[in-house]
Amino acid sequence: MSTLVSNLELGFSVAFTFHNLGLCFLGCLVGTLIGVLPGIGPIATITMLLPVTFGLPPVGALIMLAGIYYGAQYGGSTTAILVNIPGEVTSVVTTIDGHQMAKQGRAGAALGIAALGSFFAGCVATLMIAGLAVPLTRVALLFGPSEYAALMTAGLAFAVVLARGSILKSIAMVLLGLLLSTVGQDLETGVDRMTFGVASLSDGIDFAVLAMGLFGFAEVMRNLTVDQARDVVHAKIGRLLPSKAELRQSAGPVVRGTLLGAILGILPGNGAVLGPFASYALEKKIARDPRRFGRGAIEGVAGPESANNAGAQTSFIPLLTLGIPPNAVMALMVGAMTIHGIVPGPLVMTRNPGLFWGVIASMWLGNLMLLVINLPLIGAWVRLLKVPYRLMYPAIVIVCCVGIYSVNNLPEDVLLTAVVALFGYAATKVGFESAPLLLGFVLGRLLEENLRRAMAISRGDLAIFIHRPVSAWLLFTGLVVLVVAVLPSIRTRREQVFVEE
Amino acid sequence: MRQTLFVLAVVLAVPLEGRAAYPERPITLIVPFAAGGPTDVVARIVGESMSRTLGQQLVVENVVGAGGTMASTKAAQAAPDGYTLIMGHMGTHGAAPAVYPDLKYDPAKSFQPIGMAAGTPILIVAKKSFPAKDLKEFVAYVKKNSEKLNEAHAGVGSVSFTTCAFFNSLIGAKPTRVVYRGTGPALNDLVSGQVDYMCDQIVNLVPQIQAGTIKAYGVALPQRSPALPDVPTTKEGGLPEFQVSAWNAIFAPKGTPPEVVKKLSDALTKALADENTRKRLLDLGADLSDKAAQTPEGLAKLVDSEVARWKKVLASASKDAPPPAK
Amino acid sequence: MGRVRVHAPQDLVAGASLLAVSLFALWAASPLDAGRLSTPGPGLLPRVLAVMLGGVGVWLIVLSLFRPGESLGRWPVRGPLFIALSVVAFALTIRTPGLVVAGPASILVAGAASPETRWRELAIFAVAVTAGCVALFRTLLHLPIPILVIPGWVVL
Repeated sequence: MSTLVSNLELGFSVAFTFHNLGLCFLGCLVGTLIGVLPGIGPIATITMLLPVTFGLPPVGALIMLAGIYYGAQYGGSTTAILVNIPGEVTSVVTTIDGHQMAKQGRAGAALGIAALGSFFAGCVATLMIAGLAVPLTRVALLFGPSEYAALMTAGLAFAVVLARGSILKSIAMVLLGLLLSTVGQDLETGVDRMTFGVASLSDGIDFAVLAMGLFGFAEVMRNLTVDQARDVVHAKIGRLLPSKAELRQSAGPVVRGTLLGAILGILPGNGAVLGPFASYALEKKIARDPRRFGRGAIEGVAGPESANNAGAQTSFIPLLTLGIPPNAVMALMVGAMTIHGIVPGPLVMTRNPGLFWGVIASMWLGNLMLLVINLPLIGAWVRLLKVPYRLMYPAIVIVCCVGIYSVNNLPEDVLLTAVVALFGYAATKVGFESAPLLLGFVLGRLLEENLRRAMAISRGDLAIFIHRPVSAWLLFTGLVVLVVAVLPSIRTRREQVFVEE
Repeated sequence: MRQTLFVLAVVLAVPLEGRAAYPERPITLIVPFAAGGPTDVVARIVGESMSRTLGQQLVVENVVGAGGTMASTKAAQAAPDGYTLIMGHMGTHGAAPAVYPDLKYDPAKSFQPIGMAAGTPILIVAKKSFPAKDLKEFVAYVKKNSEKLNEAHAGVGSVSFTTCAFFNSLIGAKPTRVVYRGTGPALNDLVSGQVDYMCDQIVNLVPQIQAGTIKAYGVALPQRSPALPDVPTTKEGGLPEFQVSAWNAIFAPKGTPPEVVKKLSDALTKALADENTRKRLLDLGADLSDKAAQTPEGLAKLVDSEVARWKKVLASASKDAPPPAK
Repeated sequence: MGRVRVHAPQDLVAGASLLAVSLFALWAASPLDAGRLSTPGPGLLPRVLAVMLGGVGVWLIVLSLFRPGESLGRWPVRGPLFIALSVVAFALTIRTPGLVVAGPASILVAGAASPETRWRELAIFAVAVTAGCVALFRTLLHLPIPILVIPGWVVL
């Protein structure tokens, strides 16, 4: 325990210099900004700003880049709540209840609980990293391809729970999302799958294209067809922060979400993506009145937002302890460290304790700064909602267009988004929902790659999923979730039938 | 009179190629892989140094996709004015014709070589618990048990894919080749013991070897790498034919004017002679010994020999590969 | 057997479109090698998914004939059409004339999507927003968005 305290002391002494505090602030600010802007993500920004960091000492550079990364998570929730556009993969779930809350005039409460929940999650996650980094890494190493495949399959079960309306249509959307995720070059054989010769599809469909098309443009299309005599988003400002009652309601979800997100974030291979979905599914299932979900339940924002931030922080663990980046953003950090002459690896903790603990301490400081930056901004954001929709929607369109273009500098991406948007509009007209599709899309690649990898390693033995204990348990959990989710609706349908008789 | 003035204005306004001193504006250096990877790091280090000599910034642009071939196609089709360059490597300008049958560029004909920047030597590494003491035992074990072994690589066309294809065909091994999306996940499974061995660039592996989480059996260099002095060379280990380096080199589109090529080549030579740049590259484990390839003519020769070599190696490797299941 | 009555037109269209997508996917994936479940090839998962999707589609169609559901409702065309056109306008103009033209172009076309648009107000707004985008994306974030590109003359 005393080593933990002395380590944290070292860390804070490194992080608390004027220089590093300034860099932390800058990183968080830039991160929030790009998180808010749809399409542009941390990867593009960090790549863009890497040369700027060359003049900085390594610790400072890392602190700033880390700030950009989790700052983007905060920012992504803002657009998700205000305009129903998920800035990041992890903000998709926030759109479901968060935007409903905004429509009801409770945008302030939604933004507030997102910020507060994320801060709590950040504190807990930082403590976890500080105290448990090494044992947690050992847990992560237990996860092989079969465990991942089982985890992703279990994750798909959450999609059923996400459904607001027809479960059958949700399942269809998940399947469609999975199908769309297979478009692109096959990793194992190198053949192009379903790309019809279009070169830009060779790397798969961009998440930004789907998110912008289904959530951004399609949402605008939907809103324009509603009677516009009233403003679509309630112009009443309402309270800027969650009420005491709402805070009490959110306490449980925040804690549970933090734990879920933190654990899933450690798993290399982007396990953090599942955190918000799992948290939403959990909260919806244990809630006393699940029908509130999808119509502005604050637990549906509090839980996923905490999970999302906890996951973002703990995903640094494999990087800091093993030197192995768990996702593309962390791979950039590895590059940044390498360019600055620090080779990340298992020995960084002992060889460069100042760097290691300094980054951890700055993460906590970054969370604090993000709270300080975001809470006052809530007033500004909410006032932004008062802009008449006839001006707001063209602005949304142009910002989304630039955002998508900035991902690959390809006009084809922008065109594809228009096509997706039209399909998205038609799909909602016949009762389909977009969130399950995005979940399927995000999990699809991870699921298929790990499934095929597990089959390769086991030489085609399907029983490997049951032989290995972790994966067996995960599959069982997924099955349980699925049954628990589907059962009530079968029962109600039976009741409906009886009522009609 | 007004018409004459107008024509004069137009003529003076149109930028005239070659008259002005090169470079007048920042130069784009395309990197075919994600930022943070070995090629990207080399590009940034060398690019920074070249920027100082040329007086204009060398801006790195990462164009990721299709094993680096998307970036190479883009670079090949760029205007040959010296403002678009590419940091190609053994994969994009050596093995690509053998790996990708519909390649939209020719490594030799579509590009004007400038010079090699640095090579990253290849290491043969295995999981911690692999039952072999040195390279000889490793080769013997793999030969005998290859069907039961799993070899990790980072995707069709990647360095780990082509170099291990070479290794496997050299010793006649037929392991199951497990594919990962990048070196990070592959390394992760190697550390946790899910897969048995891998061939990859030294830059990615040094920290893990130093920490003891994986074992290194040999480095494919004529002499030991200063970054890992305890790892024997393949020659010492009894497999001298396995000599492979993931070289990274700068190319310009075909048709770039000779004065521009000379300026760039001189800047590159200066950068590689600079103490600071050399130190940073060597610390990474990069190999700067191939001086011949640092000139445009030397690089052209290297490209030709590499293309031929990989065509041969991968053709024989695919003959040995297990047939796809029907 | 009497006339088959469609109780849930929305579900019918939904199911039919799923079936159409699934057939399209099956056709697109036909050149791919499927392998077996124990040695999956690139075509296995797409095909399995397409079949499952088609199955759900068929089930929805069947249900729509027996279970009451929602009707199709109105499908206004103006909004979606002009939004889509505005995005296309952006895509066509971003590379060559650049953001300076693409911005106002797409904003103005988008304006046609709503009956409430006040044109003079929107025109001024378009210029302001485009300027804002330039400041934000180009100046602040250093993203290589083409601002003004006239081939042979200007590249900004």
